[in-house]
Amino acid sequence: MSEGLKLRFPRPNPIVPAHSVAGRTLMLLIGIMTFLSCVTFGGVLLVQKSAMGWSADVGRELTIQIRPLDGEVIESNLRLAVSLSEAVPGVASARVLTIAESEALLEPWLGAGLDLSDLTIPRLVVVQLSDPNAADIARLETDISAIPGASLETHAAWRMQLNTMAGTIVISGILVLGLILVATALAIVFATRGTMSTNREIVDVLHFIGASNRFIAGEFQGRFLLLGLKGGLAGGLAAVIFFIFAGTAMSTVVPQQSSAQLGVLFGQFALGISGLLGIVGVVLVIAGLTAITSRLTVRRFLTQIS
Amino acid sequence: MIAFENVGLRYGHGPEILKDLTFAISPGSFHFLTGPSGSGKTSLLRLLLLSLKPTRGSVSMFGEDVSALDRDRLLQMRRHIGIVFQEFRLLDHLTTFENVALPFRVRGQAEPSYRSNVEELLDWVGLGDRMDAHPAVLSGGEKQRAAIARAVIAKPDILLADEPTGNVDPELSERLLHLFEQLNRMGTTIILATHEVNLLDKFDYPRMLLNDGELTIHE
Ligand SMILES: Nc1ncnc2c1ncn2[C@@H]1O[C@H](COP(=O)(O)OP(=O)(O)OP(=O)(O)O)[C@@H](O)[C@H]1O
Ligand SMILES: [Mg+2]
Repeated sequence: MSEGLKLRFPRPNPIVPAHSVAGRTLMLLIGIMTFLSCVTFGGVLLVQKSAMGWSADVGRELTIQIRPLDGEVIESNLRLAVSLSEAVPGVASARVLTIAESEALLEPWLGAGLDLSDLTIPRLVVVQLSDPNAADIARLETDISAIPGASLETHAAWRMQLNTMAGTIVISGILVLGLILVATALAIVFATRGTMSTNREIVDVLHFIGASNRFIAGEFQGRFLLLGLKGGLAGGLAAVIFFIFAGTAMSTVVPQQSSAQLGVLFGQFALGISGLLGIVGVVLVIAGLTAITSRLTVRRFLTQIS
Repeated sequence: MIAFENVGLRYGHGPEILKDLTFAISPGSFHFLTGPSGSGKTSLLRLLLLSLKPTRGSVSMFGEDVSALDRDRLLQMRRHIGIVFQEFRLLDHLTTFENVALPFRVRGQAEPSYRSNVEELLDWVGLGDRMDAHPAVLSGGEKQRAAIARAVIAKPDILLADEPTGNVDPELSERLLHLFEQLNRMGTTIILATHEVNLLDKFDYPRMLLNDGELTIHE
Protein backbone atom coordinates (compact mmCIF):
# COMPACT_ATOMS: atom_id res chain seq x y z
CA MET A 1 0.00 0.00 0.00
CA SER A 2 2.19 2.90 1.17
CA GLU A 3 5.91 3.08 0.61
CA GLY A 4 6.46 4.30 4.15
CA LEU A 5 5.01 1.15 5.60
CA LYS A 6 7.03 -1.04 3.32
CA LEU A 7 10.17 0.65 4.55
CA ARG A 8 9.13 0.08 8.10
CA PHE A 9 8.82 -3.64 7.38
CA PRO A 10 11.97 -4.40 5.44
CA ARG A 11 11.56 -8.04 6.23
CA PRO A 12 9.06 -9.91 8.39
CA ASN A 13 10.19 -11.04 11.82
CA PRO A 14 11.06 -14.71 11.95
CA ILE A 15 8.17 -16.80 13.28
CA VAL A 16 10.50 -18.50 15.75
CA PRO A 17 12.12 -15.76 17.87
CA ALA A 18 15.90 -15.87 17.71
CA HIS A 19 16.50 -15.67 21.44
CA SER A 20 14.21 -18.60 22.19
CA VAL A 21 16.55 -21.07 20.53
CA ALA A 22 19.11 -22.32 23.05
CA GLY A 23 21.50 -20.45 20.82
CA ARG A 24 24.69 -19.40 22.51
CA THR A 25 25.15 -22.58 24.53
CA LEU A 26 24.53 -24.78 21.53
CA MET A 27 26.82 -22.70 19.36
CA LEU A 28 29.59 -22.96 21.96
CA LEU A 29 29.08 -26.70 22.16
CA ILE A 30 29.18 -27.09 18.39
CA GLY A 31 32.28 -24.91 18.29
CA ILE A 32 34.08 -27.06 20.86
CA MET A 33 33.06 -30.27 19.14
CA THR A 34 34.26 -28.92 15.81
CA PHE A 35 37.56 -27.89 17.36
CA LEU A 36 38.07 -31.34 18.85
CA SER A 37 37.15 -32.99 15.55
CA CYS A 38 39.53 -30.77 13.60
CA VAL A 39 42.41 -31.33 16.02
CA THR A 40 41.83 -35.08 15.93
CA PHE A 41 41.63 -34.99 12.17
CA GLY A 42 44.76 -32.86 11.88
CA GLY A 43 46.66 -35.09 14.29
CA VAL A 44 45.72 -38.20 12.40
CA LEU A 45 46.73 -36.56 9.14
CA LEU A 46 50.12 -35.53 10.54
CA VAL A 47 50.84 -39.00 11.86
CA GLN A 48 49.82 -40.57 8.60
CA LYS A 49 51.81 -38.14 6.46
CA SER A 50 54.91 -38.54 8.63
CA ALA A 51 54.68 -42.31 8.70
CA MET A 52 54.35 -42.43 4.94
CA GLY A 53 57.31 -40.09 4.60
CA TRP A 54 59.56 -42.13 6.88
CA SER A 55 58.50 -45.35 5.32
CA ALA A 56 59.36 -44.05 1.87
CA ASP A 57 62.71 -42.60 3.01
CA VAL A 58 63.69 -45.76 4.80
CA GLY A 59 62.50 -47.89 1.90
CA ARG A 60 64.94 -46.15 -0.44
CA GLU A 61 67.86 -47.25 1.61
CA LEU A 62 69.36 -50.65 2.44
CA THR A 63 72.26 -51.43 4.70
CA ILE A 64 74.78 -54.20 4.24
CA GLN A 65 76.45 -55.16 7.46
CA ILE A 66 79.78 -56.96 7.40
CA ARG A 67 81.10 -58.44 10.60
CA PRO A 68 84.87 -58.62 10.83
CA LEU A 69 85.89 -62.29 10.78
CA ASP A 70 89.28 -63.77 11.51
CA GLY A 71 91.20 -64.40 8.34
CA GLU A 72 89.12 -61.99 6.26
CA VAL A 73 90.29 -58.68 4.90
CA ILE A 74 87.36 -56.43 5.72
CA GLU A 75 88.33 -53.64 3.32
CA SER A 76 88.26 -55.89 0.25
CA ASN A 77 84.99 -57.46 1.36
CA LEU A 78 83.51 -53.98 1.69
CA ARG A 79 84.67 -53.08 -1.82
CA LEU A 80 83.21 -56.35 -3.11
CA ALA A 81 79.89 -55.55 -1.45
CA VAL A 82 79.85 -52.12 -3.12
CA SER A 83 80.59 -53.49 -6.58
CA LEU A 84 78.09 -56.36 -6.20
CA SER A 85 75.43 -53.92 -5.09
CA GLU A 86 76.06 -51.51 -7.92
CA ALA A 87 75.63 -54.33 -10.41
CA VAL A 88 72.08 -55.00 -9.21
CA PRO A 89 69.36 -53.27 -11.23
CA GLY A 90 67.51 -50.49 -9.37
CA VAL A 91 70.48 -49.56 -7.23
CA ALA A 92 71.57 -45.96 -7.57
CA SER A 93 74.73 -46.03 -5.50
CA ALA A 94 76.51 -47.90 -2.75
CA ARG A 95 78.91 -46.34 -0.29
CA VAL A 96 81.06 -47.64 2.54
CA LEU A 97 80.60 -45.82 5.81
CA THR A 98 83.97 -44.81 7.21
CA ILE A 99 84.87 -45.90 10.72
CA ALA A 100 84.41 -42.32 11.85
CA GLU A 101 80.86 -42.26 10.46
CA SER A 102 80.06 -45.55 12.15
CA GLU A 103 81.36 -44.18 15.43
CA ALA A 104 79.20 -41.10 14.99
CA LEU A 105 76.19 -43.36 14.59
CA LEU A 106 77.03 -45.15 17.81
CA GLU A 107 77.87 -42.01 19.74
CA PRO A 108 74.35 -41.34 21.05
CA TRP A 109 74.33 -44.78 22.62
CA LEU A 110 77.91 -45.14 23.80
CA GLY A 111 78.88 -41.53 24.45
CA ALA A 112 81.43 -39.28 22.76
CA GLY A 113 85.18 -39.62 22.96
CA LEU A 114 85.12 -43.35 23.19
CA ASP A 115 87.86 -45.04 21.29
CA LEU A 116 86.20 -47.77 19.32
CA SER A 117 89.26 -48.83 17.35
CA ASP A 118 89.92 -51.88 19.45
CA LEU A 119 86.23 -52.76 19.54
CA THR A 120 85.39 -54.89 16.53
CA ILE A 121 82.29 -53.17 15.34
CA PRO A 122 80.63 -54.30 12.11
CA ARG A 123 81.21 -52.10 9.07
CA LEU A 124 78.33 -50.79 7.03
CA VAL A 125 77.63 -50.25 3.35
CA VAL A 126 74.73 -47.92 2.60
CA VAL A 127 72.91 -48.83 -0.61
CA GLN A 128 70.66 -46.18 -2.18
CA LEU A 129 67.92 -47.45 -4.44
CA SER A 130 66.82 -45.41 -7.41
CA ASP A 131 63.48 -47.15 -7.51
CA PRO A 132 62.49 -49.26 -4.48
CA ASN A 133 59.84 -51.12 -6.47
CA ALA A 134 62.03 -52.13 -9.39
CA ALA A 135 65.09 -53.03 -7.34
CA ASP A 136 65.97 -56.71 -7.35
CA ILE A 137 66.41 -57.11 -3.61
CA ALA A 138 66.38 -60.92 -3.80
CA ARG A 139 69.33 -60.95 -6.19
CA LEU A 140 71.21 -58.51 -4.00
CA GLU A 141 70.59 -60.76 -1.03
CA THR A 142 71.96 -63.88 -2.73
CA ASP A 143 74.92 -62.00 -4.17
CA ILE A 144 75.81 -60.56 -0.79
CA SER A 145 75.50 -63.89 0.99
CA ALA A 146 78.62 -65.00 -0.89
CA ILE A 147 80.66 -62.55 1.20
CA PRO A 148 81.65 -64.08 4.56
CA GLY A 149 80.10 -62.31 7.53
CA ALA A 150 77.81 -60.13 5.37
CA SER A 151 74.11 -59.67 5.90
CA LEU A 152 71.48 -57.45 4.28
CA GLU A 153 69.24 -55.23 6.36
CA THR A 154 66.13 -54.12 4.43
CA HIS A 155 64.31 -52.47 7.37
CA ALA A 156 61.23 -54.36 6.21
CA ALA A 157 60.27 -55.47 9.71
CA TRP A 158 60.73 -51.94 11.03
CA ARG A 159 58.65 -50.45 8.24
CA MET A 160 55.90 -52.95 8.88
CA GLN A 161 55.87 -52.02 12.54
CA LEU A 162 55.77 -48.35 11.66
CA ASN A 163 52.87 -48.89 9.28
CA THR A 164 50.96 -50.90 11.86
CA MET A 165 51.48 -48.21 14.45
CA ALA A 166 50.42 -45.46 12.08
CA GLY A 167 47.40 -47.52 11.06
CA THR A 168 46.40 -47.99 14.69
CA ILE A 169 46.63 -44.26 15.31
CA VAL A 170 44.59 -43.49 12.21
CA ILE A 171 41.88 -45.98 13.17
CA SER A 172 41.76 -44.66 16.75
CA GLY A 173 41.49 -41.14 15.38
CA ILE A 174 38.63 -42.09 13.12
CA LEU A 175 36.93 -43.78 16.06
CA VAL A 176 37.34 -40.65 18.19
CA LEU A 177 36.00 -38.51 15.34
CA GLY A 178 32.99 -40.79 15.05
CA LEU A 179 32.32 -40.59 18.79
CA ILE A 180 32.59 -36.81 18.77
CA LEU A 181 30.08 -36.65 15.93
CA VAL A 182 27.67 -38.96 17.78
CA ALA A 183 28.02 -36.89 20.96
CA THR A 184 27.36 -33.73 18.94
CA ALA A 185 24.27 -35.25 17.38
CA LEU A 186 22.94 -36.27 20.80
CA ALA A 187 23.53 -32.80 22.23
CA ILE A 188 21.71 -31.29 19.26
CA VAL A 189 18.79 -33.65 19.79
CA PHE A 190 18.48 -32.46 23.40
CA ALA A 191 18.86 -28.81 22.50
CA THR A 192 16.31 -29.10 19.70
CA ARG A 193 13.75 -30.84 21.89
CA GLY A 194 14.26 -28.18 24.53
CA THR A 195 13.75 -25.44 22.00
CA MET A 196 10.62 -27.08 20.65
CA SER A 197 9.18 -27.40 24.15
CA THR A 198 9.83 -23.77 25.03
CA ASN A 199 8.20 -22.76 21.76
CA ARG A 200 5.26 -25.11 22.16
CA GLU A 201 2.76 -22.25 22.15
CA ILE A 202 4.03 -21.01 18.80
CA VAL A 203 3.90 -24.52 17.37
CA ASP A 204 0.32 -24.99 18.60
CA VAL A 205 -0.89 -21.66 17.26
CA LEU A 206 0.72 -22.36 13.91
CA HIS A 207 -0.96 -25.76 13.82
CA PHE A 208 -4.35 -24.20 14.61
CA ILE A 209 -4.13 -21.72 11.79
CA GLY A 210 -3.29 -24.45 9.32
CA ALA A 211 0.51 -24.55 9.14
CA SER A 212 1.92 -27.83 7.89
CA ASN A 213 4.58 -29.66 9.84
CA ARG A 214 6.84 -28.99 6.91
CA PHE A 215 6.35 -25.26 7.26
CA ILE A 216 6.89 -25.28 11.03
CA ALA A 217 9.94 -27.50 10.74
CA GLY A 218 11.36 -25.14 8.15
CA GLU A 219 11.03 -22.19 10.54
CA PHE A 220 13.03 -24.03 13.21
CA GLN A 221 15.59 -25.72 10.98
CA GLY A 222 16.90 -22.53 9.47
CA ARG A 223 17.93 -21.49 12.96
CA PHE A 224 19.81 -24.65 13.68
CA LEU A 225 21.61 -24.68 10.35
CA LEU A 226 22.81 -21.15 11.06
CA LEU A 227 23.92 -22.11 14.56
CA GLY A 228 25.74 -25.14 13.21
CA LEU A 229 27.53 -23.08 10.57
CA LYS A 230 28.54 -20.36 13.03
CA GLY A 231 29.70 -22.77 15.73
CA GLY A 232 31.45 -24.95 13.17
CA LEU A 233 33.28 -22.01 11.60
CA ALA A 234 34.43 -20.77 14.99
CA GLY A 235 35.68 -24.22 15.97
CA GLY A 236 37.42 -24.77 12.64
CA LEU A 237 39.11 -21.38 12.81
CA ALA A 238 40.26 -22.08 16.34
CA ALA A 239 41.74 -25.38 15.14
CA VAL A 240 43.64 -23.69 12.30
CA ILE A 241 45.02 -21.12 14.75
CA PHE A 242 45.94 -23.98 17.09
CA PHE A 243 47.95 -25.74 14.39
CA ILE A 244 49.70 -22.55 13.30
CA PHE A 245 50.53 -21.78 16.93
CA ALA A 246 51.69 -25.31 17.65
CA GLY A 247 53.86 -25.23 14.52
CA THR A 248 55.62 -21.98 15.44
CA ALA A 249 55.91 -22.97 19.10
CA MET A 250 57.60 -26.17 17.99
CA SER A 251 60.22 -24.34 15.96
CA THR A 252 60.97 -21.63 18.57
CA VAL A 253 60.88 -23.58 21.81
CA VAL A 254 62.75 -26.64 20.62
CA PRO A 255 66.45 -26.04 19.84
CA GLN A 256 67.39 -25.90 16.21
CA GLN A 257 69.00 -29.31 15.90
CA SER A 258 66.30 -31.36 17.59
CA SER A 259 63.71 -29.22 15.87
CA ALA A 260 65.06 -30.47 12.58
CA GLN A 261 64.63 -33.99 13.87
CA LEU A 262 61.11 -33.22 15.11
CA GLY A 263 60.44 -31.67 11.73
CA VAL A 264 61.35 -34.98 10.23
CA LEU A 265 59.23 -36.72 12.81
CA PHE A 266 56.18 -34.54 12.39
CA GLY A 267 56.50 -33.55 8.76
CA GLN A 268 57.24 -29.93 9.79
CA PHE A 269 54.03 -29.99 11.81
CA ALA A 270 52.32 -28.34 8.87
CA LEU A 271 48.91 -29.42 7.69
CA GLY A 272 49.27 -28.22 4.16
CA ILE A 273 46.43 -27.77 1.70
CA SER A 274 44.97 -31.21 2.29
CA GLY A 275 44.78 -30.50 6.02
CA LEU A 276 43.03 -27.17 5.49
CA LEU A 277 40.60 -28.76 3.06
CA GLY A 278 39.99 -31.48 5.62
CA ILE A 279 39.20 -28.93 8.31
CA VAL A 280 36.78 -27.17 5.97
CA GLY A 281 35.26 -30.61 5.37
CA VAL A 282 34.91 -31.26 9.11
CA VAL A 283 33.19 -27.88 9.57
CA LEU A 284 30.76 -28.65 6.75
CA VAL A 285 30.07 -32.13 8.10
CA ILE A 286 29.27 -30.71 11.55
CA ALA A 287 27.04 -27.97 10.12
CA GLY A 288 25.28 -30.56 8.00
CA LEU A 289 24.98 -32.91 10.97
CA THR A 290 23.41 -30.10 12.99
CA ALA A 291 20.93 -29.35 10.23
CA ILE A 292 19.96 -32.97 9.63
CA THR A 293 19.75 -33.91 13.31
CA SER A 294 17.63 -30.92 14.22
CA ARG A 295 15.45 -31.49 11.17
CA LEU A 296 14.76 -35.09 12.17
CA THR A 297 14.19 -34.10 15.80
CA VAL A 298 11.80 -31.31 14.86
CA ARG A 299 9.88 -33.63 12.54
CA ARG A 300 9.65 -36.28 15.22
CA PHE A 301 8.48 -33.77 17.79
CA LEU A 302 5.80 -32.42 15.45
CA THR A 303 4.58 -35.90 14.56
CA GLN A 304 4.39 -36.82 18.22
CA ILE A 305 2.28 -33.85 19.27
CA SER A 306 -0.14 -33.79 16.35
CA MET B 1 -21.41 -28.80 7.09
CA ILE B 2 -21.00 -29.96 10.69
CA ALA B 3 -22.69 -33.01 12.19
CA PHE B 4 -22.24 -34.44 15.69
CA GLU B 5 -23.68 -37.80 16.65
CA ASN B 6 -23.76 -38.99 20.27
CA VAL B 7 -20.53 -37.17 20.93
CA GLY B 8 -19.11 -37.45 24.44
CA LEU B 9 -15.93 -35.85 25.79
CA ARG B 10 -13.93 -36.31 28.94
CA TYR B 11 -10.43 -35.13 29.83
CA GLY B 12 -8.33 -38.07 30.98
CA HIS B 13 -10.24 -40.01 33.62
CA GLY B 14 -12.28 -37.01 34.68
CA PRO B 15 -16.05 -36.65 34.44
CA GLU B 16 -17.76 -36.43 31.09
CA ILE B 17 -17.77 -32.72 30.17
CA LEU B 18 -19.93 -33.12 27.08
CA LYS B 19 -22.60 -35.81 26.98
CA ASP B 20 -24.37 -37.25 24.00
CA LEU B 21 -24.22 -34.24 21.73
CA THR B 22 -26.21 -34.73 18.55
CA PHE B 23 -26.75 -31.79 16.23
CA ALA B 24 -26.16 -30.56 12.71
CA ILE B 25 -25.10 -27.14 11.50
CA SER B 26 -25.91 -26.11 7.98
CA PRO B 27 -23.60 -24.03 5.79
CA GLY B 28 -24.01 -20.29 6.06
CA SER B 29 -25.71 -20.38 9.44
CA PHE B 30 -24.91 -18.25 12.49
CA HIS B 31 -25.15 -19.73 15.98
CA PHE B 32 -24.49 -18.37 19.42
CA LEU B 33 -22.98 -20.88 21.81
CA THR B 34 -23.83 -20.06 25.36
CA GLY B 35 -23.93 -21.54 28.83
CA PRO B 36 -22.47 -20.95 32.27
CA SER B 37 -18.75 -20.75 32.86
CA GLY B 38 -17.20 -24.21 32.86
CA SER B 39 -20.08 -25.72 30.92
CA GLY B 40 -17.81 -26.80 28.08
CA LYS B 41 -18.09 -24.08 25.43
CA THR B 42 -14.36 -23.95 24.82
CA SER B 43 -14.19 -27.73 24.80
CA LEU B 44 -16.89 -27.94 22.14
CA LEU B 45 -15.06 -25.36 20.01
CA ARG B 46 -11.87 -27.39 20.34
CA LEU B 47 -13.73 -30.42 19.04
CA LEU B 48 -14.84 -28.31 16.08
CA LEU B 49 -11.29 -27.08 15.49
CA LEU B 50 -10.23 -30.75 15.38
CA SER B 51 -7.71 -30.12 18.12
CA LEU B 52 -9.49 -32.58 20.43
CA LYS B 53 -10.85 -36.00 19.58
CA PRO B 54 -14.20 -37.00 21.05
CA THR B 55 -14.12 -39.82 23.60
CA ARG B 56 -17.13 -41.35 21.91
CA GLY B 57 -19.54 -40.67 19.10
CA SER B 58 -18.72 -39.34 15.67
CA VAL B 59 -17.95 -35.89 14.33
CA SER B 60 -18.19 -35.08 10.67
CA MET B 61 -17.16 -31.85 9.01
CA PHE B 62 -17.38 -30.78 5.39
CA GLY B 63 -19.08 -34.14 4.85
CA GLU B 64 -16.19 -36.24 6.14
CA ASP B 65 -15.87 -38.33 9.26
CA VAL B 66 -13.00 -36.63 11.02
CA SER B 67 -11.82 -39.74 12.90
CA ALA B 68 -10.65 -41.15 9.58
CA LEU B 69 -8.67 -38.10 8.47
CA ASP B 70 -4.98 -38.24 7.76
CA ARG B 71 -2.73 -35.36 8.71
CA ASP B 72 -2.78 -33.66 5.32
CA ARG B 73 -6.55 -33.66 5.05
CA LEU B 74 -6.86 -32.39 8.61
CA LEU B 75 -4.49 -29.59 7.72
CA GLN B 76 -6.53 -28.71 4.65
CA MET B 77 -9.68 -28.60 6.78
CA ARG B 78 -8.03 -26.33 9.34
CA ARG B 79 -7.32 -23.86 6.58
CA HIS B 80 -11.06 -23.52 6.08
CA ILE B 81 -11.65 -22.83 9.75
CA GLY B 82 -10.91 -19.55 11.50
CA ILE B 83 -10.55 -19.48 15.26
CA VAL B 84 -10.63 -16.68 17.82
CA PHE B 85 -9.25 -18.01 21.10
CA GLN B 86 -10.68 -16.87 24.40
CA GLU B 87 -7.12 -15.99 25.50
CA PHE B 88 -6.20 -14.58 22.05
CA ARG B 89 -2.99 -16.59 21.64
CA LEU B 90 -1.20 -13.94 19.63
CA LEU B 91 2.53 -14.55 19.13
CA ASP B 92 4.29 -12.09 21.43
CA HIS B 93 7.36 -11.46 19.33
CA LEU B 94 5.42 -10.56 16.19
CA THR B 95 3.82 -7.22 15.47
CA THR B 96 0.06 -6.86 15.14
CA PHE B 97 0.47 -6.78 11.39
CA GLU B 98 2.56 -9.95 11.38
CA ASN B 99 0.18 -11.75 13.72
CA VAL B 100 -2.76 -11.00 11.50
CA ALA B 101 -0.80 -11.92 8.38
CA LEU B 102 0.23 -15.28 9.83
CA PRO B 103 -2.47 -17.35 8.05
CA PHE B 104 -1.12 -16.11 4.71
CA ARG B 105 2.43 -16.70 5.74
CA VAL B 106 1.85 -20.33 6.73
CA ARG B 107 0.25 -20.85 3.33
CA GLY B 108 3.50 -19.75 1.77
CA GLN B 109 2.23 -16.46 0.35
CA ALA B 110 4.55 -13.52 -0.13
CA GLU B 111 3.95 -10.27 1.73
CA PRO B 112 3.12 -8.06 -1.28
CA SER B 113 0.17 -10.32 -2.08
CA TYR B 114 -1.56 -9.77 1.25
CA ARG B 115 -0.19 -6.52 2.66
CA SER B 116 -3.02 -4.22 1.57
CA ASN B 117 -5.55 -6.85 2.58
CA VAL B 118 -4.21 -7.01 6.12
CA GLU B 119 -3.87 -3.25 6.42
CA GLU B 120 -7.43 -2.74 5.28
CA LEU B 121 -8.80 -5.18 7.84
CA LEU B 122 -6.68 -3.70 10.63
CA ASP B 123 -8.03 -0.24 9.74
CA TRP B 124 -11.49 -1.66 9.82
CA VAL B 125 -11.14 -3.08 13.35
CA GLY B 126 -9.54 0.17 14.49
CA LEU B 127 -5.96 -1.04 14.73
CA GLY B 128 -4.68 0.92 11.75
CA ASP B 129 -2.24 2.86 13.90
CA ARG B 130 -1.18 -0.15 16.03
CA MET B 131 0.17 -2.27 13.21
CA ASP B 132 3.79 -2.25 14.38
CA ALA B 133 2.92 -2.70 18.04
CA HIS B 134 3.66 -5.95 19.79
CA PRO B 135 0.90 -7.73 21.74
CA ALA B 136 2.60 -6.90 25.04
CA VAL B 137 1.75 -3.21 24.62
CA LEU B 138 -1.79 -3.73 23.32
CA SER B 139 -4.81 -3.36 25.57
CA GLY B 140 -7.06 -6.38 26.11
CA GLY B 141 -9.58 -5.06 23.60
CA GLU B 142 -6.87 -4.35 21.03
CA LYS B 143 -5.50 -7.86 21.41
CA GLN B 144 -8.99 -9.22 20.99
CA ARG B 145 -9.48 -7.30 17.77
CA ALA B 146 -6.12 -8.48 16.48
CA ALA B 147 -7.12 -12.05 17.27
CA ILE B 148 -10.40 -11.60 15.43
CA ALA B 149 -8.62 -10.08 12.46
CA ARG B 150 -6.25 -13.07 12.34
CA ALA B 151 -9.19 -15.48 12.39
CA VAL B 152 -11.13 -13.83 9.57
CA ILE B 153 -8.33 -12.53 7.32
CA ALA B 154 -8.21 -15.65 5.14
CA LYS B 155 -12.02 -15.72 4.73
CA PRO B 156 -12.64 -19.10 6.37
CA ASP B 157 -15.70 -21.24 5.62
CA ILE B 158 -16.28 -21.77 9.33
CA LEU B 159 -15.49 -19.20 11.99
CA LEU B 160 -15.22 -20.34 15.59
CA ALA B 161 -15.09 -17.49 18.08
CA ASP B 162 -14.59 -18.03 21.81
CA GLU B 163 -15.87 -14.99 23.72
CA PRO B 164 -14.64 -12.63 21.01
CA THR B 165 -16.22 -9.60 22.66
CA GLY B 166 -15.28 -10.31 26.25
CA ASN B 167 -12.80 -7.45 26.51
CA VAL B 168 -14.36 -4.62 24.56
CA ASP B 169 -16.96 -2.00 25.35
CA PRO B 170 -20.57 -2.63 24.27
CA GLU B 171 -20.25 -0.27 21.33
CA LEU B 172 -17.21 -2.00 19.84
CA SER B 173 -18.69 -5.32 20.75
CA GLU B 174 -21.65 -4.49 18.54
CA ARG B 175 -19.41 -3.29 15.71
CA LEU B 176 -17.47 -6.56 15.87
CA LEU B 177 -20.73 -8.47 15.69
CA HIS B 178 -21.59 -6.53 12.57
CA LEU B 179 -18.26 -7.66 11.13
CA PHE B 180 -19.21 -11.27 11.89
CA GLU B 181 -22.64 -10.70 10.29
CA GLN B 182 -20.97 -9.33 7.20
CA LEU B 183 -18.74 -12.37 6.97
CA ASN B 184 -21.76 -14.58 7.51
CA ARG B 185 -23.57 -12.90 4.67
CA MET B 186 -20.60 -13.69 2.45
CA GLY B 187 -21.12 -17.35 3.28
CA THR B 188 -19.05 -18.04 6.40
CA THR B 189 -20.66 -20.37 8.91
CA ILE B 190 -20.26 -18.87 12.36
CA ILE B 191 -20.34 -20.32 15.87
CA LEU B 192 -19.78 -17.64 18.47
CA ALA B 193 -19.44 -18.52 22.14
CA THR B 194 -20.60 -15.77 24.46
CA HIS B 195 -22.49 -15.17 27.65
CA GLU B 196 -23.09 -11.49 27.05
CA VAL B 197 -26.80 -11.09 27.50
CA ASN B 198 -27.05 -7.77 25.65
CA LEU B 199 -25.57 -9.34 22.49
CA LEU B 200 -27.85 -12.33 22.76
CA ASP B 201 -30.80 -9.97 23.10
CA LYS B 202 -29.80 -7.66 20.29
CA PHE B 203 -28.96 -10.23 17.66
CA ASP B 204 -31.51 -12.78 16.82
CA TYR B 205 -29.62 -15.91 15.98
CA PRO B 206 -30.22 -19.49 17.12
CA ARG B 207 -28.57 -20.35 20.42
CA MET B 208 -26.82 -23.53 21.37
CA LEU B 209 -27.16 -23.77 25.13
CA LEU B 210 -24.75 -25.95 27.10
CA ASN B 211 -25.75 -26.97 30.57
CA ASP B 212 -24.43 -29.85 32.65
CA GLY B 213 -22.81 -31.25 29.53
CA GLU B 214 -26.09 -31.36 27.63
CA LEU B 215 -26.80 -29.27 24.57
CA THR B 216 -30.11 -27.77 23.59
CA ILE B 217 -30.61 -25.62 20.50
CA HIS B 218 -33.06 -22.72 20.61
CA GLU B 219 -33.93 -21.61 17.11
N1 LIG C 1 -7.29 -29.45 29.34
C1 LIG C 1 -8.19 -29.77 30.28
N2 LIG C 1 -7.96 -30.79 31.12
C2 LIG C 1 -8.84 -31.15 32.07
N3 LIG C 1 -9.99 -30.51 32.27
C3 LIG C 1 -10.31 -29.48 31.46
C4 LIG C 1 -9.41 -29.05 30.44
N4 LIG C 1 -9.96 -28.00 29.80
C5 LIG C 1 -11.15 -27.79 30.40
N5 LIG C 1 -11.37 -28.67 31.39
C6 LIG C 1 -12.58 -28.75 32.22
O1 LIG C 1 -13.68 -28.91 31.37
C7 LIG C 1 -14.76 -28.14 31.83
C8 LIG C 1 -15.26 -27.26 30.72
O2 LIG C 1 -14.26 -26.31 30.42
P1 LIG C 1 -14.40 -25.27 29.23
O3 LIG C 1 -13.17 -24.49 29.17
O4 LIG C 1 -14.80 -26.02 28.00
O5 LIG C 1 -15.62 -24.38 29.75
P2 LIG C 1 -16.18 -23.02 29.15
O6 LIG C 1 -17.63 -23.21 28.95
O7 LIG C 1 -15.40 -22.59 27.99
O8 LIG C 1 -15.96 -22.04 30.37
P3 LIG C 1 -15.71 -20.45 30.31
O9 LIG C 1 -17.04 -19.80 30.03
O10 LIG C 1 -15.26 -20.11 31.70
O11 LIG C 1 -14.70 -20.17 29.29
C9 LIG C 1 -14.29 -27.38 33.04
O12 LIG C 1 -14.77 -28.04 34.18
C10 LIG C 1 -12.81 -27.47 32.98
O13 LIG C 1 -12.29 -27.56 34.28
MG1 LIG D 1 -14.15 -21.05 27.57
